[in-house]
Amino acid sequence: MLMRESTVAEKASAGSTRLSFAQSINAAQRQAMELDPGVFVYGIGADGKAGIFGTTTGLVERFGPQRVFDTPIAEGGLAALAAGAGSAGLRPVLVHQRLDFMLYSIDQIVNWMAPWRFMSGGRAKMPVTIRAIIGKGWGQGPQHTKSLHTWFAHVPGLQVVMPGSPADAKGLLLSSIMSDDPTLFIEGRSLFTMQEDVPDEPYFIRLGEALVRRAGKDVTLVSMGSMVPVALQAADTLSKANIDAEVVDLRCLMPLDIASIITSVKKTGRLVVAEPGWRMYGAAAEIVATVVETLGEMRSRPRRVAWPQSAVPTSSKLEEQFYPTSDDIVAACRASVTES
Amino acid sequence: MAEYHPADEMRCPMHFCVGQEAMPAALAQVLRRNDVLMSHYRSHGYYLAKGAPLDAMVAEFYGKGTGSNSGVAGSMELGSHDYNFCSGAIVAGSLFIPFGAAFAQKYRQLDDISVSIIGDGVFDEGITYEVFNLVALQHLPMLIICENNKYAAHTSIERRQAQPKLAERARVFGLQSEQLDGNDCELLLRTLERVVPAIREGKGPHFIEIETYRYCGHVGPGDDEGMGYRDAAEIQRWKARDPIIVMRKRLDGVVDRGELERIEREVEAQVHSAVASAKRAGFADIRKVISNNWSGEYASVVTRFTHSVTPSFGGGQSEARPGPF
Repeated sequence: MLMRESTVAEKASAGSTRLSFAQSINAAQRQAMELDPGVFVYGIGADGKAGIFGTTTGLVERFGPQRVFDTPIAEGGLAALAAGAGSAGLRPVLVHQRLDFMLYSIDQIVNWMAPWRFMSGGRAKMPVTIRAIIGKGWGQGPQHTKSLHTWFAHVPGLQVVMPGSPADAKGLLLSSIMSDDPTLFIEGRSLFTMQEDVPDEPYFIRLGEALVRRAGKDVTLVSMGSMVPVALQAADTLSKANIDAEVVDLRCLMPLDIASIITSVKKTGRLVVAEPGWRMYGAAAEIVATVVETLGEMRSRPRRVAWPQSAVPTSSKLEEQFYPTSDDIVAACRASVTES
Repeated sequence: MAEYHPADEMRCPMHFCVGQEAMPAALAQVLRRNDVLMSHYRSHGYYLAKGAPLDAMVAEFYGKGTGSNSGVAGSMELGSHDYNFCSGAIVAGSLFIPFGAAFAQKYRQLDDISVSIIGDGVFDEGITYEVFNLVALQHLPMLIICENNKYAAHTSIERRQAQPKLAERARVFGLQSEQLDGNDCELLLRTLERVVPAIREGKGPHFIEIETYRYCGHVGPGDDEGMGYRDAAEIQRWKARDPIIVMRKRLDGVVDRGELERIEREVEAQVHSAVASAKRAGFADIRKVISNNWSGEYASVVTRFTHSVTPSFGGGQSEARPGPF
């Protein structure tokens, strides 16, 4: 990687604007398209008035219908387009309004994009970005809420990115689009209205670098994607009870910054992982296993906060009870600290 | 290869195109280096049609580091990055890369084209129809060639397809479409000399179904008469119209017989030499091989910008309860 520090001139001109998560994604695509004529954005409704929850609004007016276009409901074919265009050196950004819809394209992603570079003996590139939105909230039910990040993180050759804040969404999406490897970019819709001061200039966050969002000494709290604000909320609550949680935002499942987690757990001796997905065979399981393998003895048993092993109910009352809350994270952290 | 494969030194599944040589030979005359060609796993003829080196192909069969894919692909995913050729083991997959590559060629306003070689088995897969629709809808510079050899592995087309008229089916998706004798190399070449320039000129995608036949079993160099899914008489009927025999007859009196024999001897010597050098070559380093899954690289444009931003988000905002839909 060749990213250098910003120059004095760039710093002098650098301002920032308060943007929502959705606006940050929009800004990242706009800037990627300005920087590279090979970047194009497509998917069902990509050029429509709703602009995929505002994330593509204005792009077709700015870049024209060749670079921003609506598509048939043909997720497998659309992924095939991405695979071929990516192999030819363009940088496709394929958008799915729900991750569930892209399951038609598993073959294209797992059999073709993922091993493409490997099969060529390291010669070929596959610079494809697939944006997939998770519909947590407002009655989304079993077929609009799946995350499945671990399915994709399991496959060699793929990158899986899960931003947890607006400014991260911009920097991570820019990096995903400019990466030469196929990347699944997972967006929690429940984050879309969150706001943050987002630098106006393009900037790139190294994929595979976690961020310590809150330093702490008592327990390491690892989270990702839509669980990041929930974990931060839990950390605030814990601090009132004099429990000092260190919140690590993973940012990417693959590449996985296990080193940052281990550094933190070496300090705290305790680990809780909060994952926006099913518990069994999940990312939390992978992280806990690797930390235990690496460190052996810890001050207390590691704990996972994740979805029950069940499809997600639609009814809002049931949905509320289904998803783990900051209270669940608080309870796990308290138990972790109380144990030793 | 049929001579060497049984020694089991290659140790990779291999699907022979013996009997199906006419189309690769014709295609070799009309494609350019920058055109993209992807075939199914019965790929050897098409690899050579793209001008990619024989030595690297044979070394790939032997799994050696000097192979076209450094020995990680073998016969089924044989490719040559430098010659814009690739292939793969999953049926219908050979539509994908040429489809997207044709999109890229149109996007960049080039007059290169992309060619996909599929078998009749591809018509069993649903994804085929999505791709046909998208290729026609986007009016891409793509040629799809279907080698209809009547069998998907060991199952005949009649047992798989309610309506096995493939060229007709492509036509209803909006592809220009025709059906040809796939064992007549001269006919194929004349057709390609008409179709390929038209695609280059932006006249839209084209589908060609060719009727042809494989003599070997689905996989491996041997015959598969014991499998019982086709009868010996059928194989003999097709062997009588073998594309090389057809071409040989046609060249009789046109090209000197001694000249033909000289070419054959030369090709045979090249093959034996490729095998010898493949056997001598070493294997790739496993550590290097397994480091090839991700590049970890980025477009050079990222070097112009900062990566030192530390986002200010510290929580304090709860998740949204999204509005309708």
